[in-house]
Amino acid sequence: MKRGGLQGYIIRRLIYAVLIAFGVVTITFILLRVGPVSPADKYLANMSARTQDPAQVVAAIEARYGLDKPIYEQYIDYVVNLARGDWGWSFSTSMPVMKLIQRHWVYSFQLILLSMLFSASLGILIGIYSAVKQYTRIDYLATLFSFIGISIPNFWLGIMLILVFSVQLGWFKTYYDTGLPMFSLANLKALILPVITLGTGMMAGYTRYARSATLDNLRKEFVKTARAKGLPERVVIGKHVFRNAILPVITIIMFDLSGVVFGGAYLTEIIFGIPGLGRISFNAIFAGDYPVVVTITLIGALVVLLTNLATDIVYTWLDPRIRYD
Amino acid sequence: MNNTVLEVRQLRTYFFTRSGVVKAVDGISFGLRKGESLCLVGESGCGKTATALSVLRLIDSPPGRIMDGEILYHGEDLLRCSAERLRQIRGNRIAMIFQDPQTSLNPVFTVGDQVAEQIKLHLRLKSKPAMERALHLMEEVGIPQARERMRDYPHQFSGGMKQRVMIAAALSCEPEILIADEPTTALDTTIKAQILDIFRDLKQNRNMSILFITHDLGTVAGIADRIVVMYGGRLAEAGTVLDIFDQPKHPYTHGLINCLPSISTRRQRLTPIPGMIPSLIDPPEGCIFTPRCERRMPICSQERPKEVVISGEHVVVCHLYS
Amino acid sequence: MGQISNKVGGLRNLVFIGSLLVLGLILLLDIYLVDKILEPLGYFYLFFAILVIFYGLYPLYVNRRLTKYYWERTKRHRLAVFGLSFIAFLIAVALIGPFLTQDPTEVNFQEKNFPPVGFSIQQSVYDLKTGEFVTRETPGTWKHPLGTDDKGRDMLAMLVSGARVSFQVGLLATFIAILIGTIIGVLSAYLGGWGDMALMRFTDIMMTFPFFLLLVFIIFIFGPSLAFIILVIGLTGWTGTARLVRSEALSLRTREFIMASKSLGASDARIIFRHLIPNVLSAIIVIATLSIPAVILAEAALSFIGLGDPTVTSWGVVLHSGQRSLDTAWWVAVEPGIMLFLTVLAFNFLGDGIRDAFDPRSQL
Repeated sequence: MKRGGLQGYIIRRLIYAVLIAFGVVTITFILLRVGPVSPADKYLANMSARTQDPAQVVAAIEARYGLDKPIYEQYIDYVVNLARGDWGWSFSTSMPVMKLIQRHWVYSFQLILLSMLFSASLGILIGIYSAVKQYTRIDYLATLFSFIGISIPNFWLGIMLILVFSVQLGWFKTYYDTGLPMFSLANLKALILPVITLGTGMMAGYTRYARSATLDNLRKEFVKTARAKGLPERVVIGKHVFRNAILPVITIIMFDLSGVVFGGAYLTEIIFGIPGLGRISFNAIFAGDYPVVVTITLIGALVVLLTNLATDIVYTWLDPRIRYD
Repeated sequence: MNNTVLEVRQLRTYFFTRSGVVKAVDGISFGLRKGESLCLVGESGCGKTATALSVLRLIDSPPGRIMDGEILYHGEDLLRCSAERLRQIRGNRIAMIFQDPQTSLNPVFTVGDQVAEQIKLHLRLKSKPAMERALHLMEEVGIPQARERMRDYPHQFSGGMKQRVMIAAALSCEPEILIADEPTTALDTTIKAQILDIFRDLKQNRNMSILFITHDLGTVAGIADRIVVMYGGRLAEAGTVLDIFDQPKHPYTHGLINCLPSISTRRQRLTPIPGMIPSLIDPPEGCIFTPRCERRMPICSQERPKEVVISGEHVVVCHLYS
Repeated sequence: MGQISNKVGGLRNLVFIGSLLVLGLILLLDIYLVDKILEPLGYFYLFFAILVIFYGLYPLYVNRRLTKYYWERTKRHRLAVFGLSFIAFLIAVALIGPFLTQDPTEVNFQEKNFPPVGFSIQQSVYDLKTGEFVTRETPGTWKHPLGTDDKGRDMLAMLVSGARVSFQVGLLATFIAILIGTIIGVLSAYLGGWGDMALMRFTDIMMTFPFFLLLVFIIFIFGPSLAFIILVIGLTGWTGTARLVRSEALSLRTREFIMASKSLGASDARIIFRHLIPNVLSAIIVIATLSIPAVILAEAALSFIGLGDPTVTSWGVVLHSGQRSLDTAWWVAVEPGIMLFLTVLAFNFLGDGIRDAFDPRSQL
């Protein structure tokens, strides 16, 4: 790939991502239509049926949802609506899904951002340090800790933290207070336990990746060359090794992001009562509010797509061997 | 000798592995003079690379360890000086280049950066003058279109070009000694010749001392002033080029020279040295070459032979001559 | 030698098919004649067990030297050995435990919220005689060595039952996922061209879906039953295996020994079975060892948020009820969590050890 080829690559990946997005949208659409009628819909139908002819009510609902149109028209309608920003109506909260998401995404975002910063920075540092000091006690401790970190079920960790720090010691509240202004110290304090819950597992993983990537690179010949040049050890590690090791680590971190968001963050929000997208979709599921669930799933898929795309681009950009072929 | 710049005395470097202690270098001594090129010769595994790495203390410290000996650079023992002092010397007064240019260069930095790195470090030059100097060096070693190619990455160069880059980097601070660990082994024959030319130039024009490590006697003939033959981590024979090629004394040296295919003499077959390289873990008593030696005697498996001076510079370590 | 192994291979395949037929016969009998010899999940397990015996244990036995080699390497990893012993212990518990403990579903309100042995808490209990609430010191007893939950169910029994469930879920779901993944991977590499691209795009789409969300959604729609949970986890978790198998298959395609085989006239199916699968096997084993804990955690998470099978006592289900009584009965939340943690840890240790053992570059 010549120097201008990077742009071509990005364009190709974008097109590809759009295609996949279509695939996801299609599947979501199928799920929506194939799933049994939402209980909320049924309830509404029952309610209205007391005053009107049930058949008429069903027909009205069908008309409202466009269910009487042929399937491909429904599909086109659905896609067009998505593009226009009409993502459906949420019964349980009586507002457009779009608005619901707009209200709540910040909470998820701040939790994930803080957790990532916390876990990535600490994890990478510990990983590199542990690799450089291989076979010492620090290394064994760090390795043990990372094993523990990946093995602890993060929802259990959350409960344990609440048990110890909120119930027994009373340092933190057991439930997240949404009234706090976002950029305040109190908010930060309230987020400490959730961030630790979400971040521990992530950090453990990152420590392992960073350690193994660093170890791989420490064995390489260019490290000897760097030392033979008379460079101080911290430059050898901090510049030469780091720049090579960070490549796979960043790739994995970005790749992992999607799994984190819709796994760990989801559970953390539920446990701590943080009203982020995870919790919203959770409530929606139990309320039978399908449009919300499906839309959030769709968003999730799109986030995954975007992160994968970004990862590919970042990786290509960072590694000169791929960029200038 | 007054113009000895580097002197290695009784160097011993061992490697502690799961299968045992590998005595990679087991008591070797030699000296390097100003402006001369000394070749360290031997089969793979004979300890020559380990010796070279030991000079700058570049041995990987688990599993390896420099056990004993002295390496005197203008009288200063490099094995016992501080880490700080060592860093001042590395790349600055004593530079080293390695065998495989493919892996010796860092793939994520430009070639220009890597040549200029030492310049910035040791000569305290700022970025621009450092890059200028790097450019000159690259032109000097014969890299075409150096100015454009400085911003390229190692993988965009061929093997021979990469090695030139390494040499340029090594020369950047005008070191007194250049240690070259099999610099041409990984290259094609024609490129080999070109790189050797560069080394010869260096010796002549810059009066640089070169410690050249190789297993190829042909290369040796092209560049050496003096030769040190190593076997099993120990010295077998040492002397000037003429001494070794004309009058090899040690049976191993004999064998090595006989291995060389030659255009002039007619021979039906090549004669290899029988047997295999010994394991350096728990070497047997006595001379380590004994199992493969055609002229072995009973004393050879009992006592380690001592250095014997044949004439002038020519020494041999063999019971046949003591 | 080749002829002997051929014959043996043929014999083994015959016996394998034979036992499958027997199983199928029992299944038919079950459906049409007798009333439920085994429940559906039971058939699953038997089938799985048969597969493991014929395609797992038997080849291990035949290639004794190879097995021994890898075993030696794994043994050097102390952590892996610890993991393995813990897992073995758990398997023992899962198999015979339920016969030794009380009924985990037995409710006994008189004995509710008992702490584990060695602990003692203050409890506010409604005294039937005086009609008032009295605070009473309730110590743990050996009858319920790990305590009871808020409905008086014995913790130890529930944990043991949970072990069994975890293994069932872990093994089966992983098996399904790996099976699907391997088939798709091999198929994709074998087809090449458009078939390959189509399958890979499909895999990409499946990978883009947030796994957990999908799980939650599907289970909510179709109802939480253990069999279904296992099925769904298996059906959504195959993507990693598919990719790996495909890339191994593709790289093998160009390797010399495949070409050599082909030039000797070996059929494609033969190549797949005799060369491909053994080579990817090591990677698959590593994936399996690391998938099982992920699956166990997934089931636990599902149960924890309330979407688990309520008729089954799994660790996640216990955690779910434990969350409510954090201040009155903390052990209900702590104990199943510890079990989950240790189990996952053990598998991670083992997986790491196995991976190192299989990696030719690591010097063990």
